[in-house]
Amino acid sequence: ENREAMLNSKSNRLTEALEEANALFDGVCRAREAALDAQFLVLASSIGKEKANELHSEMSAFDSTAYAEDLLTFMGINRTEVEETDDSEDVPGGFLPKDAWLKMGEEALKYFKRAPTFHYMMGSFESEPPVPKQRIERQKKASRGKAERAMPAQLKKMEESHQEATEKEVERILRILQTHFEDDSNTPISFFDFVIDPHSFARTVENLFHVSFLIRDGLARIKLDEDKLPIIEPTKPSGGGEEDDRAGARNQVIINLDQKEWK
Amino acid sequence: QVSELVQFLLVKDQKKIPIKRADMLKSVIGEYKDAYSEIVNKAGRTLQEVFGLQLVEIDSKRPTYILINNLPHAEGKYLCRNKEKEKMGLLLVILSFIFMKGNSVKDSALWEFLHLLAVYPGKPHCTFGDVQKLVTGEFVRQKYLETTPIPLTDPPEFKYQWGPRAEKEISKKDVLNSVAKIQGKNPTFWASQYSEA
Repeated sequence: ENREAMLNSKSNRLTEALEEANALFDGVCRAREAALDAQFLVLASSIGKEKANELHSEMSAFDSTAYAEDLLTFMGINRTEVEETDDSEDVPGGFLPKDAWLKMGEEALKYFKRAPTFHYMMGSFESEPPVPKQRIERQKKASRGKAERAMPAQLKKMEESHQEATEKEVERILRILQTHFEDDSNTPISFFDFVIDPHSFARTVENLFHVSFLIRDGLARIKLDEDKLPIIEPTKPSGGGEEDDRAGARNQVIINLDQKEWK
Repeated sequence: QVSELVQFLLVKDQKKIPIKRADMLKSVIGEYKDAYSEIVNKAGRTLQEVFGLQLVEIDSKRPTYILINNLPHAEGKYLCRNKEKEKMGLLLVILSFIFMKGNSVKDSALWEFLHLLAVYPGKPHCTFGDVQKLVTGEFVRQKYLETTPIPLTDPPEFKYQWGPRAEKEISKKDVLNSVAKIQGKNPTFWASQYSEA
């Protein structure tokens, strides 16, 4: 309670109190008293520290009022006789301009090694709604200059639609082949029966085109049967089969088919 | 992994709240826990070489990190939002006050000083709004200021000191020079502060 009195640098009361506590401690025989003593010590040391602080600041007297005044000047205060206003920038003896603290901030930034905050320049772009597979997966990378991304993305789309159609067709044909084989796996289909469309030459060519993909990717095989006529069958997915497929792919066949023959 | 961590750190740093290692592990490093220190080191190098930022650990008990700017100060205007600038202005004033007063001040003393600048804890400030929240909340969370209760005071009083981020981002020498400049005096005028800086 006598904190203020003790803080007075001229007083020795803190020392006296400490000595008294010391003496009392000898008579202590109960834990509670020891706890009180400890509490007192904490208090005493806190006061002691404050006293030391006071001494310290007296040595290099820092006048905070003068500092405040100078700060106001730095921030551009208008020292006028001010009437009762409710402007919260008013200070006894004048008022601060709107950019007062901005000026202070400019000064401050010279000294702070502050990392500039990171903001996306363009913002993240909107992702496309999920479209059936075959779309190239777009990565949501947060990089700058996303505007440029929009362009190549659009171009990609066009290419893909061509590709898509082809691949879809290829898949469809593969499935037909596989379905047929599920039913009867010992009768391979005659190649010609498979690709020729009796009603449309164009379709036939397209079929040939799609089948060639299957062959190239090793998903189907063309063999010659006993009559030396080509037959086609889907390949079974097997690990060892890979090497065979690659070897098989070396054989190229050029099929010559024009409208007359087709007919 | 490294670039993910770099991005993570840059985004997390926006609020200037120190980044906890636990968060880094959870969000980015995940199953690569064993390579943790290697990833962090590489990220730090990237940050330094590409962005000129330094990744600094400020607490080894619960490892937390901040990013500071390692590039030498450029002359001229700083790219910074006005709101941020104003806050930094206030912060500099507070840090200067604390330093000149011996590195630690009672909260009552701080607010008494701020009164002189028309900054009141109870009154919404036209630049800063709720100043008390700014000083005791934001600045403390960002580790610019540190506040500790003074033992056995009733009602409880606090003291303010420089926080670890302030220690890393600004030097006492610069603060003293700034005070000296504003007061139009030589920094050696304040002998003990000068020797400390």
